[in-house]
Amino acid sequence: MIRHLFKLIWNRKKSNFLLISEIFFCFLVLFAVLSLVVYNVRNYSKPLGFEYDNVWLLTSRADIDSTELRIAVEQQLAQKIRSYGEVEGTALVSSNSPFAFSQMKVWAQVEGGPRILVENIDVEDTFAEVLQLNVSAGRWFTKQDDAARYESVVINRVLQQELFGAESAVGKLITRNDSSQVQIIGVVDHYRGSSEYSEESPVLFTRINQQKVAVFWGEMLIRVKPGTGIAFEERMVKDLSGIAKNWTLELTTVEKMRQTKEKLSLVPMIAMAVVCGFLIFNVALGLFGVLWYNISRRNGEIGLRRALGASANQVYRQFIGEVLVLATFGLVLGVAFAVQFPLLQVFEVESIVYFIALGIAVGLIYLLAIGCAFYPSRQAAAIHPALALHEE
Amino acid sequence: MITLKNIEKVYQTKTIETVALHNVNLHIPKGEFVSVMGPSGCGKSTLLNIMGLLDEPTNGIVEIDGKPISRYRDNELAHIRNQKIGFVFQSYHLINDLSVLDNVELPLLYRSGTSAAETRHMALTALEKVGLSARTKHYPTQLSGGQRQRVAIARALIGQPEIILADEPTGNLDSVMGEEIMNILLNLNRQDGTTIVMVTHDENMAQKTERLIRFFDGQQVSDAKTNAYDFQQV
Repeated sequence: MIRHLFKLIWNRKKSNFLLISEIFFCFLVLFAVLSLVVYNVRNYSKPLGFEYDNVWLLTSRADIDSTELRIAVEQQLAQKIRSYGEVEGTALVSSNSPFAFSQMKVWAQVEGGPRILVENIDVEDTFAEVLQLNVSAGRWFTKQDDAARYESVVINRVLQQELFGAESAVGKLITRNDSSQVQIIGVVDHYRGSSEYSEESPVLFTRINQQKVAVFWGEMLIRVKPGTGIAFEERMVKDLSGIAKNWTLELTTVEKMRQTKEKLSLVPMIAMAVVCGFLIFNVALGLFGVLWYNISRRNGEIGLRRALGASANQVYRQFIGEVLVLATFGLVLGVAFAVQFPLLQVFEVESIVYFIALGIAVGLIYLLAIGCAFYPSRQAAAIHPALALHEE
Repeated sequence: MITLKNIEKVYQTKTIETVALHNVNLHIPKGEFVSVMGPSGCGKSTLLNIMGLLDEPTNGIVEIDGKPISRYRDNELAHIRNQKIGFVFQSYHLINDLSVLDNVELPLLYRSGTSAAETRHMALTALEKVGLSARTKHYPTQLSGGQRQRVAIARALIGQPEIILADEPTGNLDSVMGEEIMNILLNLNRQDGTTIVMVTHDENMAQKTERLIRFFDGQQVSDAKTNAYDFQQV
């Protein structure tokens, strides 16, 4: 029967051309949207590498020019913040803190190896504690790094793999921005600070050492005890405003920053899904209409098949089968096109993302085809054979 | 083979009730060639549909090989149609998108246990029987009316049915073509012992069969052996 259906559809390829094209284009749009969704969902399900609950970010903008004075006030602020019973720890950080909109890229390179663009985050020693990072090899920054021959850095596993493959990275030297050599002292499991929906990129943590290099950072992460609420926030901002007079102080939770980033990732995905939904709905209507018309045109054939020994159920299955064969023709074209994405590594997305999206899209198209064919096929099966033959 | 007892068929719409068949009693024994005649609208095709299990009578009993089929389900009726009955229609009812060979193979699609090679062999044999083995790859639109009807007969033959129900098989053909088709049917009846019930408007064709049943206004008005056989007025 399957051979018969393929033969029938193949011989009717001219009249089925539009339907096959419709299925082909519907598949491509679905594949594109699903690739985006699968990419985002897969990233979302991966570990961030840090805990942002109960972590706040204090951003301070000073109205004085002297860096020394700014640093002094910043240290007073940190001291005051740490003095609260509600606060568990603080850590200065560069402006590319978790879920922030800024990036700081540097080149990293092992001698003789390729140059890799990495995210450089300047952090205080307490950063790992405040964000509860998991150091899986080596160690995090400590006071002993003050006396180190090379500047100490911590990297994430992604960067370790890109630079050294399966080899250990701890103790090795890398060149940063083609100039300074830095030494890797530790590797964190994961760090995905850009967004929950983005892929983990190579990260290089460098140490803030204000005794050595006096820089005013202006961003401070604060870990508070669970349950610490808005009343404390207000009290703290008021107290801090008293210390840093005329400074602009902004206090927000990292959770709020995450939500903002989440919206930015979800909005295009939802918009594309809505457009795709409308398209699929239109395709479904078209498919349903064409099938309905085709079936009503083929009354004589239905009557004949019934006369030759097809039961109503076999007629029903035949029409569903025909639609599935039609869908297969469209999908063969679609898959041949879509499979180029993983093969050519388009957009540098993991192949598995495309393959999952491809599988789901194929499944959905078949479901859509069956859904659209269900009622017209049922109607075909219900046609009275004597009447159908008589009409012909 | 086929027995109809007190068959009545009424088509009912909201406003009109049309009696297509009234009190029809018939027995068609195995191996008989029967023709059914009557004016248009007298119920001949309805009778054939009921005999072919394509339609149900409003009242009465249809028996195939002595078994009443009224309690059979749709798939059981389809199975009987596939195994025992072959149909030949006035308008051939060929599928234009399938080749001659594929059209002939159609009934075996609904019969389990026949391999593709076996099906092909049976289709070629059936086409040979009707003298069309040179046209297997042609499509129905490339054939003449007579050739199309021969394809339809080959399709009816392929499943080696015990009964062939032919609804005006020569109705769309000229006299020469009609004669050819009639000869094929006569050969089938005489050589293979196939029971044939043929609806026709052509008195000459009807006279070539063993038995002629006449209908008028849904009622059987005569049932007679032709030529050498005794005439029996119903």
